[in-house]
Amino acid sequence: MLQGTLAIWQRDMLILRRSITSELVAVVAYPLTIYLAFGIGMQGYIGLVDGAPYSMFIAPGLITMTAVSAAYNESVWSLWFHRRVQFTIESYRVTPISVSEIVIAKILTGFTHGIIKGCAVGLVIFAITPFRFPLEHLFYYLLFLVPGSALFSCAGIISGTVMDKPETIGKVEAVLVMPLIFMSGLFFPLSSYPPGILSWVRALPTTALFEGARRILVAGELQPISLFQVAGSAVVAFVAAVVIFRRKMAE
Amino acid sequence: MPTDSIVTRSLTKSYGSLTALDSFDLAVEQGSIFGLLGPNGAGKTTLIRILTTLMRQSSGEASIEGLDIGRYGREIRCMIGVVSQENSLDRYLTARENLELHARLHGMNKRSYKGRIDDLLELMGLAGRQHDFPDTFSGGMQRRLVIARALVHQPRVLFLDEPTTGLDPQSRRAVWEYVRSLAGSMTIFLTTHYLEEAEQLCNRIAIMDHGRMIAIGSTQELKDRLSGATVYEIEFTGDGADRYAALLGSMSCVNNISQMHNKITVTLECWECLSEIVTALDGAPVRRISLQERTLEDVFISLTGEKVRE
Repeated sequence: MLQGTLAIWQRDMLILRRSITSELVAVVAYPLTIYLAFGIGMQGYIGLVDGAPYSMFIAPGLITMTAVSAAYNESVWSLWFHRRVQFTIESYRVTPISVSEIVIAKILTGFTHGIIKGCAVGLVIFAITPFRFPLEHLFYYLLFLVPGSALFSCAGIISGTVMDKPETIGKVEAVLVMPLIFMSGLFFPLSSYPPGILSWVRALPTTALFEGARRILVAGELQPISLFQVAGSAVVAFVAAVVIFRRKMAE
Repeated sequence: MPTDSIVTRSLTKSYGSLTALDSFDLAVEQGSIFGLLGPNGAGKTTLIRILTTLMRQSSGEASIEGLDIGRYGREIRCMIGVVSQENSLDRYLTARENLELHARLHGMNKRSYKGRIDDLLELMGLAGRQHDFPDTFSGGMQRRLVIARALVHQPRVLFLDEPTTGLDPQSRRAVWEYVRSLAGSMTIFLTTHYLEEAEQLCNRIAIMDHGRMIAIGSTQELKDRLSGATVYEIEFTGDGADRYAALLGSMSCVNNISQMHNKITVTLECWECLSEIVTALDGAPVRRISLQERTLEDVFISLTGEKVRE
């Protein structure tokens, strides 16, 4: 059943292997710059946030942001490019594999990009900064990162499926994806929000992801509700991505 | 006795109020090369997309090698090869990797596809460039690679949707040679805008317009259907053409007449009228009388009209 998924995913991994150095340099540069500018530069002005130094406070969020952004970007641009520019999706569709196999392969590819790039940024931050955490926290952190990357990969697939123009993809990222990430307490504690807004912000799966991932990595506090919220959102997004892609292909 | 490889019955596809395919009936014999001609928007691509299971029909039936396209999509895709209008090669994979990916999507294992890909690259003259990326290929080489990709899994039916569009004459002829070499081993369904291509390659040709079949037959049958009229060109020496144009134009057996310098082109009701023309031209300074063969383009234009389609 999944022979097509495996073949397409292996193709995507071959391309990633060929460009891994340039991909990693590009993907590490942005969060590392933010870390150095805000985490180190602003640390003296900000002091402790939620009991942790500011550089410690933002580090988990930057790793998570890298992973989910990479998952989203890979999925959205890859699907759009293969569908609208290179027409490779159409060449897959005249082989015996199903449309579901194609979309699952693309979701897996986005997810893999997210995990690899998130881990790369984590390693770099770990290597060149004083950011440290107990190793046992890492396992639980990955429990957030895995469904988080899957969620954003599925979101990218949905965008890449329904949007035919590249400029629309860029606008959605600027208006929806990045605000969702930045509103989730990446650079500031959620307690900064007025109480009326806080309940809305907490309902967002991105808040559950960023807040839950930080708490487990820095303080070792596992928030099961946040974990279920992220995992549940990932499952819903997966079903939606498959259904939307199948409908689009049937048009 | 040969059986039909591709069959459609009352096949219809509508997009809202637009009917792209209108009760289309077709039967393509196994092992033949079948050509489908039609102006832009005639419904050729819609038909090919339905037959290759990329699109569902609104009504009617179609089958490939006896399998209904609605019920046996996966089985049908196992035995068809498709060369689409667009160049759908993966530019991030080498020529060989493109073929390998296609083989894996068809469930072939490495042992079975390795030799097959070697053979195809050799056949298509791409063996020396197999580790290069398609972006570095000429248009003709890319097209040959797309055809090779469609043949990796040894399909029984090959769909070629305008396979030579945009190629120079040499590359076009090379593709024709490859297509000809496949004749008999599989059924080939070809759409093209190049009437010469259809004439050169196809055993049978269908012309469609506005989603309907308007003519089908061999090239000769289509030309014969054009009309019983026969066209002759009469070339005069000196200035005889002016004098005789008026005389010929007044004859009842001449349907149409036109003059260009010292040449007159006459359309006769039937070829038997030629003797009347020869009698009328007795003593005229005639250098040559020649029969003008009707071309497939004449047939195409007469059936689909001269108006440019959007």
